[in-house]
Amino acid sequence: MTVVAQAPPEADDIAARAPHRRFPVDKLAGSGLIVAMLAFSVHSLWQLDFSWSSMRSSVNTAVTTFAKMDPISLPSAGDLMYLIGLTVGIVVLGTLMAALISVPVAWACAANTSPSPVLRWAGRAVGVVTRAVPDVVLAMAFAMAFALGSPLPGILAMGIHSIGMISKLFADAIEQSDDGPRLAVRAAGGSRAQEFWAATFPQVLPSWIATVLHRFDINLRGSAILGYAGVGGLGYAMRVAFQQFPEGYGRGLGIAIVIFVLCVVLEIVSSTIRRHLLGADPAGRGLGGTIARAATGDRPTTPRRGRVVTALANAGSRLGTSRLFSLPLRPVRALRARRQGEVCTAGRNVTVESMLTRPWTRARVRNLTWTWGAVALVVASWRWADVSFSQISWAYVLPTVQSFWPPDFGSHTFAEFAQAMLITVQVAFAAALLSLVLSVVFGALAARNVAPNPRVRSFFRVVLVIFRGVPELVLAIFLIMITGLGNQAGVIALAFGGIGLLGKLVADSFEEVPRGVERAVTATGATRTQRFAAATWPVGTPALISSSLYLVDTNIRAATILGIVGGGGVGFYITQASTVMSLHGQVTTLVMMIFVTVLLVEAISAWLRRVFR
Amino acid sequence: MNSTTPSPVVSVTNVTKCFGQVRALHDVTMTVDPGEVVVLLGLSGSGKSTLLRHLNGLEQPTSGAVEVLGQPVPQLRAPALRALRCRVAMIFQQFELVPSLTVLENVLTGALGRLRGPRLGLWAYPRALRLDALTRLDRVGLLDKAYQRADELSGGQQQRVAIARALMQDPQLLLADEPVASLDPESSAQVMRLVREIAAADGLTVVCSLHQVDIALGWADRIVGLRGGEVVLDTSTDHLSKAQVMQVYRDLEPDDSDARLAALDLELTSALVGTGSGNAT
Repeated sequence: MTVVAQAPPEADDIAARAPHRRFPVDKLAGSGLIVAMLAFSVHSLWQLDFSWSSMRSSVNTAVTTFAKMDPISLPSAGDLMYLIGLTVGIVVLGTLMAALISVPVAWACAANTSPSPVLRWAGRAVGVVTRAVPDVVLAMAFAMAFALGSPLPGILAMGIHSIGMISKLFADAIEQSDDGPRLAVRAAGGSRAQEFWAATFPQVLPSWIATVLHRFDINLRGSAILGYAGVGGLGYAMRVAFQQFPEGYGRGLGIAIVIFVLCVVLEIVSSTIRRHLLGADPAGRGLGGTIARAATGDRPTTPRRGRVVTALANAGSRLGTSRLFSLPLRPVRALRARRQGEVCTAGRNVTVESMLTRPWTRARVRNLTWTWGAVALVVASWRWADVSFSQISWAYVLPTVQSFWPPDFGSHTFAEFAQAMLITVQVAFAAALLSLVLSVVFGALAARNVAPNPRVRSFFRVVLVIFRGVPELVLAIFLIMITGLGNQAGVIALAFGGIGLLGKLVADSFEEVPRGVERAVTATGATRTQRFAAATWPVGTPALISSSLYLVDTNIRAATILGIVGGGGVGFYITQASTVMSLHGQVTTLVMMIFVTVLLVEAISAWLRRVFR
Repeated sequence: MNSTTPSPVVSVTNVTKCFGQVRALHDVTMTVDPGEVVVLLGLSGSGKSTLLRHLNGLEQPTSGAVEVLGQPVPQLRAPALRALRCRVAMIFQQFELVPSLTVLENVLTGALGRLRGPRLGLWAYPRALRLDALTRLDRVGLLDKAYQRADELSGGQQQRVAIARALMQDPQLLLADEPVASLDPESSAQVMRLVREIAAADGLTVVCSLHQVDIALGWADRIVGLRGGEVVLDTSTDHLSKAQVMQVYRDLEPDDSDARLAALDLELTSALVGTGSGNAT
């Protein structure tokens, strides 16, 4: 048979012959779910009394508060230095504790180093549980076992809570490390422990340090809340100040500003270390990271495709609610030009004996300086925070630990707790919605390929950076204090931080849209908005969906903490229960409820990501 | 050098290895005598690396016996296996150095089998060992690189560091898994010459997997050819020519696919025609 050219078919014939689009059940279900979640968010806003009149009355309250309160003031320089030292010291020690514990936990978790599936499972459980319990809850619950005013509950709480994120990211790094050197050590007769310390650990050490520094930033941002558990430092001073109206408010606001500045300054420090000592990109997308990048004259050189993932990874650890992304490390050293094929002959004035002492190269001096600097910092923290093991009331330790089991409802009912959980979830969704709406606008205008001109883009980039720089919890505390409203203030504070995070992700994902697609649409004669709708938006949507859900996840965890500073929801009950040892069973119940909710959101998020790939 | 020493260093008897449904080795039998330099020759997938990894217990045979330095490798429990591994050094195609550590630290990891407990940092190793490691580095001509990061060295240099690390074990048997497959011809020649010199000087027994006929012919005492997991050639290299080696492969019946034989032909021919190794660098 020979094939002959067919005559042009009739128009209606084409419709008949064209393949019918298969009914996209999953996409439809996914869209339905998204619409339902959006509806729930709007409903939440409504429920949380975001009506116009209520907003106006809040603003009025705030204005009167501002009018009546004393001018912004700071504690005396000496006091301020002491408070800063105390806060930083507690954060340093808490982060260090988590960092050290995370090594064996990550070793047990990572598929390639774990000695047995049971240990692996146990390691993961440790990570998940420590991540689920907010540090402030731990600090409140521990209070009984320690002398009054001891920094230890704060250090321990931070130390335990941070294990989850650090060990998860560290385990990921171990799994991504090269197995070859491990095999070489094994082939040379090394034991399991020797394999890990000689071959795996040196490979992942930079990633471990970067993660720990990143966690340090997060812990510092969250440290203010520990003041509500009676842990000394800036947070406690701020809380005490806000308890007195009107004379304390000015000082409270002053301390809040100090915390903000401190966060930014130390973020610059840690970003600089990460960049120059470790060759890692400053993971912080906050103000500090940006300044560090600007100061070092570096443009982000992460491959464009990876940017959203990178940003997500960075975002991942916000508020200690790490999502399961690994910290990106750019192997700067690997980029260093290698002298390939250079044949080297021995004996340039070196002998075996002379080489026994390591030469003082710049790299060695630098590494030693950093190492001893870190040791000095830890020692100083220990002294400054005045840590002493005599502050532990050993008789209370075991009862405190035991008191968390079994979980119970106390005098409350499941319905009460469920209602509280609903409020927390509503706060989280409402805040996420506000963030989403505003960050689509801000993010789009901050994207190179959407912004009408570079100046608009730069402006909105800076706005996003400032939003990110505000420690949400401090803002929430402040707003609650001046408006006298819990949940609304919480929603606004969370939304603020969310815009910074999500706006950046939105901008990055829009900029990642391949140029060619947009050009193709422009070439058909489309307008700017048509191009945005046809090319930019569809490509950026999947990333937007997953980052929004990620935001809901972090918001739920953060909204819990808001209850502690005066918002409602689960946090309120947790605060009540965690201060009395006989009520600790309720804390366990509530934490389990939060945990289930977060898992549910994560599951939905994973499914939607698959559907809208 | 057709030695007939009564106690071979390596004795592999009827070894078969299956990875799930895939049969990597089929009824392999071979021996290596003390001081012999043997090349396992074959294409990738022929089972030579798998065979090599049986010799230090990195793989367990599905059936058959492996005896190395008088020890039944598959039957050894962890401490005895580690003790054996201390006497059997291995170098790898990708060198497998820890990139972020100094050259000296990498060499020192070769001594881990002799030490108890994990070590982290140069000062965790005794001074005598550090001196020893520097001596080995001197021997491979890289003494002046002792304190550089391993990943700052060229491929050939890294492989020489790996050799120094292997020497750190004072091995009786050296296993080399495609040691020059990732190197350019010049570095390849240098590395192969180094291994040969050290083997001669220390009376080391060497089992090396290779896929380049040319290098194998000029370098080994004996060639064991593998194809599809079976030994198809086991002969001294005396009076052996490239043509003869190729003939052995050519005369084979295509067992399952003609394409495979064609690929083999092409590979071996290019090895002949090319200046040296037929590998891609």
